[in-house]
Amino acid sequence: MPHATTLIVLLVLFTAALVGVLVARPGITETRGGKILAFLALFFLPILCGAMGVSSEMDRSKTTAFCLSCHTMEAYGKSLHIDDPGHIPAAHFQNHRVPPTAACYTCHEDYAMFGTLKVKLHGLRHVYVYYFGTPPAPENIKLYQPFNNRECLHCHLGARSFEEGAVHTADPATLPAVKTNQLSCMSSGCHEVVHDIPNLKTAKFWKESQ
Amino acid sequence: MTARANSIERRIQVAGIILIVGLLIEALCLLWARPISFVIFVAVGGLFLFAGVVVFLFSLVSPRSLSD
Repeated sequence: MPHATTLIVLLVLFTAALVGVLVARPGITETRGGKILAFLALFFLPILCGAMGVSSEMDRSKTTAFCLSCHTMEAYGKSLHIDDPGHIPAAHFQNHRVPPTAACYTCHEDYAMFGTLKVKLHGLRHVYVYYFGTPPAPENIKLYQPFNNRECLHCHLGARSFEEGAVHTADPATLPAVKTNQLSCMSSGCHEVVHDIPNLKTAKFWKESQ
Repeated sequence: MTARANSIERRIQVAGIILIVGLLIEALCLLWARPISFVIFVAVGGLFLFAGVVVFLFSLVSPRSLSD
């Protein structure tokens, strides 16, 4: 458990203890000090705990471990270990081109101001379907919208390998089309091999050395 | 004065119990790193915290308390 989460849990328990004192002895609120304590324990600290807790939970929901804790996502987690440099998610994960602890979120967020909330609302629906509905088979899971090049350009834009790459510059129209999302990075013949769940059973896997 | 104090104290106790339940739910959810814990944290824990704070604020401004 991260230290920040531990501290928040301790703050929550401390607040609960203070509230417990007020519940056991509400008469102390008649004094000036008691009123201040009541304000802190029954108003300020609970709101602070809630806000800090939400922030911690939001951060944790960005972690790879969180995403892969759903059984439905196991195949996608496995695909990050495919031993094939042409396999985009695996190559990014294994070479730390994305933070390994936040691999899913790094590529599957839209970076807009309300993007995170929108993604989380989708996530809430996923939780609902996971527990109360019928989750689709991993190979049938589709994105809500076609993958946006913006997620790739967040890191690759301006990089020499991207801007001056032989294939990228062979046709002068290619880079502008990629940058304006008119030509997908995952177009056929480019970087089209992504998670490739249907072929996971026959894939060769990289064994991470510790 | 005593009746007023008792009324406020009773509401503070109710608010406190609701808040304790909410805080314990939030603590458990923070310790339990699963997607469902996120939903419970926000929906259930958040609801209890909100209700507890509202009951506490209500205890301060309710007309009955002020008129006692």
